[in-house]
Amino acid sequence: MHKNLVNFISMLRSHDIRVSPAETIDALNAMSVLNFEKRSQIRDGLAMTLAKTKLEEKVFLKCFDRFFKSELPNINSDSLSEDTISTQDLSNLIEKINSNEIENETLMSQTFNDLAQTSLMKNLMTNNRTELALSLRRAAEEVSLSKIKLFTQKGLYTRKILDLMGEEHIRNAIEIMEKSNDQSLNEIKNYRDILRQEVKDFVEREYMLQAQARNKKLSDDILVDVRLSNIEHYYLHRAKDLITKMASKLSKRYGKQIKRSKKGRIHMPRTLREGVPYQGILFKTHWKKKIRKKPQIFVICDVSGSVAAYTKFFLIFLYTIQDVLPKVRSFAFSSHLGEVSSFFVENSVERAIELVNWQYGGATDYGGSFEDFKNLAIADIDRRSTVLILGDARNNQGDPKLEILRTIFERSKQVIWLNPEPRRAWGTGDSEMKRYQTACHISAECGNLRQLERVVDRLLKSTQ
Amino acid sequence: MDSIENITSSFEKHGYICSEKIATAIFLAAKLEKPLLVEGPPGVGKTELAKTAAYVVDKPLVRLQCYEGLDEAKALYEWKYSKQLLYTQLLKEQLSDVLGGAIGFKDSMTRLHAFSDAFYSREFLEPRPLLRAMHEKNGSVLLIDEIDKADFEFESLLLEILSDYQVSIPEIGTIAATKIPFVVLTSNDTREASDALKRRCIHLYIPFPDQALEERIVLEKVPQIDDNLRKKLVGFVQALRSLDLKKTPAISETIDWAKSLLLLNAESLESDLVVNTLNVLLKFEEDIENTKSNLASILKQA
Repeated sequence: MHKNLVNFISMLRSHDIRVSPAETIDALNAMSVLNFEKRSQIRDGLAMTLAKTKLEEKVFLKCFDRFFKSELPNINSDSLSEDTISTQDLSNLIEKINSNEIENETLMSQTFNDLAQTSLMKNLMTNNRTELALSLRRAAEEVSLSKIKLFTQKGLYTRKILDLMGEEHIRNAIEIMEKSNDQSLNEIKNYRDILRQEVKDFVEREYMLQAQARNKKLSDDILVDVRLSNIEHYYLHRAKDLITKMASKLSKRYGKQIKRSKKGRIHMPRTLREGVPYQGILFKTHWKKKIRKKPQIFVICDVSGSVAAYTKFFLIFLYTIQDVLPKVRSFAFSSHLGEVSSFFVENSVERAIELVNWQYGGATDYGGSFEDFKNLAIADIDRRSTVLILGDARNNQGDPKLEILRTIFERSKQVIWLNPEPRRAWGTGDSEMKRYQTACHISAECGNLRQLERVVDRLLKSTQ
Repeated sequence: MDSIENITSSFEKHGYICSEKIATAIFLAAKLEKPLLVEGPPGVGKTELAKTAAYVVDKPLVRLQCYEGLDEAKALYEWKYSKQLLYTQLLKEQLSDVLGGAIGFKDSMTRLHAFSDAFYSREFLEPRPLLRAMHEKNGSVLLIDEIDKADFEFESLLLEILSDYQVSIPEIGTIAATKIPFVVLTSNDTREASDALKRRCIHLYIPFPDQALEERIVLEKVPQIDDNLRKKLVGFVQALRSLDLKKTPAISETIDWAKSLLLLNAESLESDLVVNTLNVLLKFEEDIENTKSNLASILKQA
């Protein structure tokens, strides 16, 4: 059982459930006090010790059902294929064989008798599920089925397991019987098919458990490095999950530090004053409370066609870490600029982004948009503000209005420019990036999720 | 609390209907001597679980309500600062007796050292809930309510207590629990607990109950209500939960509603009656308006 449990836990880990060794021990302890007869009890007990959030519990239940499908005998007998021959059929069969024997088909019956002596055939004929499942597991272990990676390996593993279980006896017998054109041939064939089906299902299940999660991990690793505009529609969903995961990692890291030294230092004058009635003994202590004005973040996003995909991911990221970020005000522009913060309050992030794109999409005009920003919000920028600009700085040969960005640069704590284009393309063609860069504290590339994460990480560090 | 069946029946005796999952969790927590972390939407009986557990095992319930800014001094222990000061003032006069005959600074110092720990002894220690729970001679049920409201620092503070059932006080040393308390933590999921904390706990998620279980709960709490009406009203609440509401009605609200229907001598769910009593179930004007407009279809579902 221990081994099985450890296998099960390593599978849970591959499905993104973090199980520590201590929890494994807890699970073992829990198993030892629970009633094995009751599947639901074991399931609940394991769930409580291994899965520690609502979401993890859901994944756990799915994995549990898959993994222990062939494990527990009571479940086993219910889920059997219906065409399994019952014991009565079996006795009929033996009778038939016997009558065949009287008809002196000696070669065949000899073959059959030999076959019936093998443990595999015995188990099949007596419908001994537990024994079959066990030998199946043993064989699977021998060929290390848990290392299955690709779906093309399924056939190979099935074959190997069948061989180990001794299927060749049946195969040989069938060959001989086919020559003699025997009636009981079909029955034997039936057994063979059942066995093959069972092994095939088993391998299939194992593949789903092991390889799927591993492949997902592999594709995630790749997805992080793909340019955001190239992510195909099919993977968008997955990319969003990834962003959420990254975001929750970041918010965990920075969420903890928010309330450092809230109590502040001791307020000596006040404490001394309060002590006067008590002959100068400091009965009551007073503390200086630090009053810190919250920093603000201004996000200015280009939503024109060339950058829209990046903006989308960036905004999703930013609004997923809302609870650890200071107040965010967002602006969107292409030909003109407007504040879109309220979109995000009223709608879900995805919907808001759609609305923004719809309302502000078009050809880019950085100069005009900076002008708009100046009228809208420049008065609110102070030395605590961070200004984030996301855009490719391709201005269609218009006036870049660098002086406005310079004013922002001087007033704010920092200006960060995120450009989805690779660094070597900056300043080529109609890109004004090189000039804008002179008025930025930080300029960074943000073409893929990994770069995006790094940028947001840096942002969080600087706004804490 | 020696078997799951016993837990179910003895909790029921004290008016708490628990599903098999909940009973298993309590059983495991008691058997493995681990804290039980209960999560779930508000009003599904998380706090009630701990209270009932205290009744069942007949041990005192020590409750610690968490909130932002809760710290060591309020949760664990505090030095009785005023008492310490008062004593120093009162004992000032004794000082000459103690130091009488001491020659030189060094000698007085050594003499004083002999008394120095007196002010940081248990007499001056003010135990707060956590320490109090450990001090209970016959064990206790410790309820740490709404852990998600507390700060991260506080969670870390809990770690030593939850895994080893002991508290380190720098001036005194380590105080271990006389008898291991049964610890229940509850969380409303406003913030995720840290991995370190979750690792130490048995995790239990209590969702809203299904129709049958909720009917049993209502029967337990409001036994006078008519069977038919009970079925109807629970069905109505269940249907409400499937709507997109700002705050979904919890079990406690179902019970309140059942009580108010009983007070109003209602015999069946008339739509007028439902409209007039909807404010017992729903706590937002927006939700009430929303429900009113869909009332006919919801009533039909129920």
